[in-house]
Amino acid sequence: MKLGHLPDVNGNGNARRREHHVPRLRLSLLTIVAVALFASLFARLYDLQVIAADDYQVRAEANRVRTVQIPAPRGRILDRNGKVIVDNRVAVVVAIDRSIHEGLEPEEQEDVVNRLAMELTGAGFPTSPDDIRARLEDDRFNRYAPVPIAVDVPEELKIYFEEHTAEYPSVVVERKAVRSYPYGSLAAHIVGYVGKINEAELEAVADEREKPYGLNDEIGKSGVEQTFERYLRGTPGIRRIEVDSQGDPVRVISETPPVPGDDLVLTIDLDVQALAEQKLRQGLEAARARPNRDGTVNNATTGSTVVIDPNNGQIIAMASYPSYDPSTFVDGIDAAEWAALNDPANHYPLNNWAIQGQWAPGSTYKLFVGHAALMAGVMEADTVFSDRGGYQIPGCSGAKCYRRNAGGAVYGNITLPRAITISSDAYFYHVGAQFWLQRDRFGGDEAMQNHLVTWGLGDRTGVALTSEAPGRVPTPAWKRDYCDRVNCNDGVWRTGDNVNMAIGQGDVLVTPLQLANGYATFANGGTRYVPQIALRTQAYQTGEVTAEFQPEVAGQVDLPPEVREPLYEGLVNVPVSGTASRAFAGFPLDRYPIAGKTGTAQVDGKSDTAVFAAFGPAPAPEYAVAVVMEESGFGGTAAAPVARALFEALSGTTPLPPAAPNAAPVGGEQPLVEAGASYD
Amino acid sequence: MARTWELERLPRRDRLAPARRERGRRRDEPLFHARPPAAWRHVDLVLLCSALAVSAIGAMMVLSSTRGTDPDSYDTSYLRKQLIFIAVGIVAMVLVTLVDYRRLRDFASVIYGATLLLLVLVISPLGSERRGSQAWFQLGSFQLQPAELAKVGVIVTLAAALARAEVPLRLRVVLGALAIVGVPTALILAQPDLGSALVFVAITMGVLLIAGARPRHIVVLTALGIVAVVGVLTSDVLEDYQRDRLTTFLDADGEDLQGEAYNSDQSKAAIASGGVSGKGYLEGTQTRLGFVPEQHTDFIFTAVGEELGFVGSSTVLGLLALICFRVLRTAQIAQDRLGTLICIGVLSMLVFQIFQNVGMTMGIMPITGIPLPFMSYGGSSVLASWLALGVVLNVHMRRFG
Repeated sequence: MKLGHLPDVNGNGNARRREHHVPRLRLSLLTIVAVALFASLFARLYDLQVIAADDYQVRAEANRVRTVQIPAPRGRILDRNGKVIVDNRVAVVVAIDRSIHEGLEPEEQEDVVNRLAMELTGAGFPTSPDDIRARLEDDRFNRYAPVPIAVDVPEELKIYFEEHTAEYPSVVVERKAVRSYPYGSLAAHIVGYVGKINEAELEAVADEREKPYGLNDEIGKSGVEQTFERYLRGTPGIRRIEVDSQGDPVRVISETPPVPGDDLVLTIDLDVQALAEQKLRQGLEAARARPNRDGTVNNATTGSTVVIDPNNGQIIAMASYPSYDPSTFVDGIDAAEWAALNDPANHYPLNNWAIQGQWAPGSTYKLFVGHAALMAGVMEADTVFSDRGGYQIPGCSGAKCYRRNAGGAVYGNITLPRAITISSDAYFYHVGAQFWLQRDRFGGDEAMQNHLVTWGLGDRTGVALTSEAPGRVPTPAWKRDYCDRVNCNDGVWRTGDNVNMAIGQGDVLVTPLQLANGYATFANGGTRYVPQIALRTQAYQTGEVTAEFQPEVAGQVDLPPEVREPLYEGLVNVPVSGTASRAFAGFPLDRYPIAGKTGTAQVDGKSDTAVFAAFGPAPAPEYAVAVVMEESGFGGTAAAPVARALFEALSGTTPLPPAAPNAAPVGGEQPLVEAGASYD
Repeated sequence: MARTWELERLPRRDRLAPARRERGRRRDEPLFHARPPAAWRHVDLVLLCSALAVSAIGAMMVLSSTRGTDPDSYDTSYLRKQLIFIAVGIVAMVLVTLVDYRRLRDFASVIYGATLLLLVLVISPLGSERRGSQAWFQLGSFQLQPAELAKVGVIVTLAAALARAEVPLRLRVVLGALAIVGVPTALILAQPDLGSALVFVAITMGVLLIAGARPRHIVVLTALGIVAVVGVLTSDVLEDYQRDRLTTFLDADGEDLQGEAYNSDQSKAAIASGGVSGKGYLEGTQTRLGFVPEQHTDFIFTAVGEELGFVGSSTVLGLLALICFRVLRTAQIAQDRLGTLICIGVLSMLVFQIFQNVGMTMGIMPITGIPLPFMSYGGSSVLASWLALGVVLNVHMRRFG
């Protein structure tokens, strides 16, 4: 290769030019290098700005935009008639604007913090300067929003801080919507409470895009506040802030206002709910005051009353005792209050016993067992049984093998309706025994259970509330498993197990809601609904319906007229001439017939569980009611009067008093007793 | 382009020139070229206009990147200073074109001496240090960076030394040329300023190639250059952070987005987020909010990329390429070897600086403190760019002897 020494390119023939040789090849080499370098720049430019632009636009946008969520008020919770059970009110929040605070001199910061702590403590919000400093340094608070120091301070304090801005340059007073409960603790278990979101909940809602959660946000913790969270929660407003490369805010780019959550309309009738809670409390108080025949005292610790519309499964009232005041949860419950609510001696006021309590149903179970007997052909409706006051379990020897009727009564020759009305245990012992002894003929080991579960017994009803207990319909397989687990010496299912079960004793457990729903199913002719708690949601201001919840059928109970008639006849006579006749004395049964059944379940070491389940008006049922009262004595004595009081109002016999706003907490003054009931 | 080419070759113009010369010009003007009116008619307007356009866009982008974060107010202090720098640069360019470049040969030793003096003074206590590099004279509120001016000084000196050398260049001549470049380069490395030193390497290679160095000398020099770069990178000449800057581009997906990779990433994000049409002048968020460090100086191209998009940045790149092309043309048509070599020196400087600077903003070259000619904010850089342009225009307009 020979470079250079090239002839004159301009070819002017000029003598001086001929001396000057521009080496063309070498110049070309240089040109190629320059062109290649520029070409690679163009290529890279194209690569970045045309091919990769979208990715980098997202990156650049993320660089400069920070978002602050503006909390939205939750929707209200209303009863079916529009009464506001849970409302919002404005609370005053004292906060520190960190962007101003960090601009102050260190001594001035110190001073503001100290005086603020003093002022808040003086106003009844014990705060130490260290608390405030810890919050200011907590980087989990959004950098672009003020850090709340005290929530729900009195209006006077707000005015004070607003008038003394010069002394508190970094203190800002904000407003925030918090829950208010115009009726106090009324329906507390149904509505539930809200609280600050915890780590586990935050993780569970991490995918929520439409209404994203922040660390300081509130979330429904129980009741419909929890299960209808996605409707009740408002859509947070978004303030987009532009920041510079140091992260300092430059300006607000845009602001989307928060949208309040939807109002939730419940199936609950608040007036009925108030009456149910009141009558349940009074019934328990009366039971406590009434010693048993054997001289023992009824502790009457817990109880529940459920009212359902049998025609659609809507829950009209659901009372649970003891209760609590959900307003204690507004802006954080203190440790002492929380400990009291979880102290066994207080019988867990936070529990909704209507769905979390499981009790032996006693004789109220006989409706379902009677149905099983007729369906399986163990008994005919007109089969005459001779009740001699007791029943010897076939193939059993020992003292426990002869079972007496309650109170040792002798009823003589009876058929099924009468057996229900007067609650003959002997009749149903016989049914239970025959189911087992002739299991080959009636449908196997679980012949009776297979009929029972069609009523929804032993399984969660599916009501839209959390922590529902399933109850229990024991089977031979269950007993074997159970005994393996707890190491009992006898896991064999015997005739006695069937006998116990037939009168709602032994290992049978129901929740008050299951019991009410079972009677509602019978009342409407066999359609078992999922108990419904909410009717619809509607927009906060306009009331426009945003979601409508329909009754949902969970199953169908085979209830032919020849089976229903005798059972109905038995139930409808209970308040007339049966075990609840004293409780319903004077009630206009001719105008408003009631079909019901008492139950008295024996519990080892405690006084009886009083149970009553009924529906009325019996020919065209509008309400099904279940009352369960722990350690309260006879169902006919303790539970039936509670139901009667409700039916008086529901039938219009006595006026239904409107719910009184701001009632005192129901669970406040009940005595502290030893708990530890176990029905296992 | 073709039209310009034709015009330059019109023999009629050449014939007309002496006639014009006769009309009333003082022929005995001592410092001036013998035929100034004729020379002025041969000014490369395309080159001049391209440089003016790039400078104007540069000033616009200086405003964009120094206006402050508030979208509704504008800090114009940097813009005003930059406009003064450009004005000073243009005046300097005009002054340079007044003196026939062939007389520069006589001044070469003076220029070279002054260059060396400034480079020695700047690393003496008279110079100021910034970011670990002692490269500035603080003159009131202005800074003078002698390394920028030294580029032009070395180009002229090198071209003058090689203009009359026998082709192919003897080893003695090549070593002499290396010595001429080596001393100022060593002084600049002492600051240390690796970027500027590399510009001298590029200038040397380009000038030696065209001056007629033997191919084997060029190959050996290239090899030595590579060894030198590796040597500098692995020795203690550079501080750790300087070495990091140089090497992070090799690890573009690095985890350390807070360090040097952060600069590179923000720079790329600024350019790429401009997309095809750009976010609009003064609308760039990366630019306004200060996400790109040193944006008004070394990273000025990112403002173009973000606000003017692919359309604008390829236009700017095209104008820079046009400048280079016109310098190359001037090298081809220069009247003598001195003119050719001067233009080649300037061309090498421009191409290297443009590629290095723009490549750095797009993450394909290491981050070194080399300004973008004509565009970057800074008096020394602007002055050096216009001085270099003046020398090239000088060669161009005197191409007919």
